[in-house]
Amino acid sequence: MRLSLWEILLRTKEGPIIEEKQFDLSIFKKIQELQQKYDIKYDPEKPLDVDGDLADRVFQAGVAFFLNIGTYCITTRRVIKLTEPELQTEIASCPDELELGQGTDKVKMLHRDVEGNQEPVVVAGIQTAPFSDEEMMFKITKGCAMDYCIDGIWGGVLLKIEGKYDVIAGTPSEIYQYRKTVEIMREAIKAAGRPGMIIINNAPTSLATIAMYSEESGLRKTDGIESTGMSEVKISYDDLNRCAFGLAHGIHIHGSHSSVIGGFSATPEGAAIVAVAGALQLVAVQKSDSLRCGVIEAMVKSRVTRKELWAAGTALQGLSRNTRLIVDGSIGDHPAAGPGTKQYLYESAAGHIVSTVMGAHSTQGTRKFVVGSTCNYGTPLESRWMGEVCKGAVGMDRVTANRIVKYLLAKYEDKLRDAPEGETFEKLYNQGKLEPLPHYQKLYQEVKEELREQGLNFRN
Amino acid sequence: MEISNLSQEHKGLLDAFRDAIVAIDEDKAREIAENIISETIDPSTAIKYSIADAAIKVGERFDSGEYFLPHLVMAGDLMEAVGAILEKHIPAEKIERKKVIVIGTVQGDMHSVGKNLVATMFKAGGFEVHDMGVDVTSIAFIDKAKEVKADMIALSSLLTTTMPYQKEVIEDLAAMGIRDRFKVMIGGGPVTEVYAHDIGADGYGRDAIEALDEVKKLLI
Repeated sequence: MRLSLWEILLRTKEGPIIEEKQFDLSIFKKIQELQQKYDIKYDPEKPLDVDGDLADRVFQAGVAFFLNIGTYCITTRRVIKLTEPELQTEIASCPDELELGQGTDKVKMLHRDVEGNQEPVVVAGIQTAPFSDEEMMFKITKGCAMDYCIDGIWGGVLLKIEGKYDVIAGTPSEIYQYRKTVEIMREAIKAAGRPGMIIINNAPTSLATIAMYSEESGLRKTDGIESTGMSEVKISYDDLNRCAFGLAHGIHIHGSHSSVIGGFSATPEGAAIVAVAGALQLVAVQKSDSLRCGVIEAMVKSRVTRKELWAAGTALQGLSRNTRLIVDGSIGDHPAAGPGTKQYLYESAAGHIVSTVMGAHSTQGTRKFVVGSTCNYGTPLESRWMGEVCKGAVGMDRVTANRIVKYLLAKYEDKLRDAPEGETFEKLYNQGKLEPLPHYQKLYQEVKEELREQGLNFRN
Repeated sequence: MEISNLSQEHKGLLDAFRDAIVAIDEDKAREIAENIISETIDPSTAIKYSIADAAIKVGERFDSGEYFLPHLVMAGDLMEAVGAILEKHIPAEKIERKKVIVIGTVQGDMHSVGKNLVATMFKAGGFEVHDMGVDVTSIAFIDKAKEVKADMIALSSLLTTTMPYQKEVIEDLAAMGIRDRFKVMIGGGPVTEVYAHDIGADGYGRDAIEALDEVKKLLI
């Protein structure tokens, strides 16, 4: 039988108490040992592990790491640990199939195999970005939802109430405005003719996140709830509040965790090991039914550096080959470049190809890594790209994926630190017709044809 | 005492001291710190020459990708420990006061990675750092800054809906009439230099390395 959330809660109160810094340094020390023991080596010449043996060793190291280091609860400063039989039960008891959305927009989210033919679920949208006003949020969301190559939409945020009052996390304004955003999203997907499609939004606090739920006008049980583990291998009670609400109301829980290259994971090898451990934390501690296994590189504002692709791809592959878990990659979610540029499309493609081929779904939307307070910093065309790439990579073998990814890396790798800023929705779209302006459509088609020639099997 | 006035042997000892810190060899660094005292080398010179130089070299190794966050943490701790050994032999009135920085992630925001990195860079760069963690209120920042007589308050925010809390700290300082007592620096994923300027922050760091450069400009 699985450990209940209440047993986990008990362990946050009775586990060993240690200082956070001591826990952080123990991450680094343990990965040094495991990296050697399991002979895990990053080779920049091979951004993807094409045979799976290395990925299996990363998985084993991740299991050993999780059992030895555990999860740190920052609320109580205690470490939550599981025994190996407990962990195996958690992994074995997790679903390998979920149903999300409703009616004709319902989709099945299955465990995906490496190079598998299972359909990846794609939740696009301009994730967590600010919109200038309600009308613009409605318009952009509707534009995204009209595209049938995506299965769901991530929401963003409106920064002002009544165009005047700041929306601030942890205040009543956060609760009011996040609820408002999902109501707009629900109206927008209805207007797009897809009233049952998945919508996701995640507020900074659990209180505001929970306030977004309403079967009639807000988030539904079939949409899921996000519980984000803190980097690296940590949680707070605020994360567990979301889990408690999800469990109480039968809402699918989607967990998310990222290890950090340059952080306490240190190296790409360390980040791959900790990414696996983070995924296991999402299953065992946060009771997630599906889980995002992510990697970020501390000093680069993009999710698709060579090291990130290798570390996340290897961790995903290890999880896919050794479990029946439903895993989310979303590696290409946050390019350094802005919308309306070829580099955005190259970065996004590299990450989403790796995610799909390595046995993952992509449900974390798509937007420029740094948007600041610039509003409407994205268009439905980037969502279409995410969907087209993910679906086009279904069934691709790792050798082909490795070749295409190397081709893409050569296009953007040296431009990540000073990536082109791109343009906002207003400069890239015909707002009346909700269509890309000719210059953006042309750029899109050029990159699509380029990648088709490279072997990406677009469906249309 | 100037470094040029030291014998070659003593200069070699200070070089070895710096190298031990950069290599994060705790036993060796502690042993050499004791030797510096027993050789009657001016401990202030050792701090200014070896520890300050070690901080620069550790930063360079981080910048080049050879060192990571854990190395910065361990090097920072080691600098503090060996610095304390040396300072015991310097008259209190002659100990150079380190610039003090209070840092944290603002209220409502639980993101810690970038803030940890910046805090550790500051410490390894020779500053006294008080890391208040995440989800820190404006009043808590200000109370701490007053308590430790800080020179700077550094505020991290990773969410557009928590960025207003950076502004709130600046506004609260102004309302209390103590804005000019502290430099305020901001950073974080969605934060831009333009925003820093708009809210009246004194400095902005795009990443940990830039943040350290900015702090040096503002405080030294």
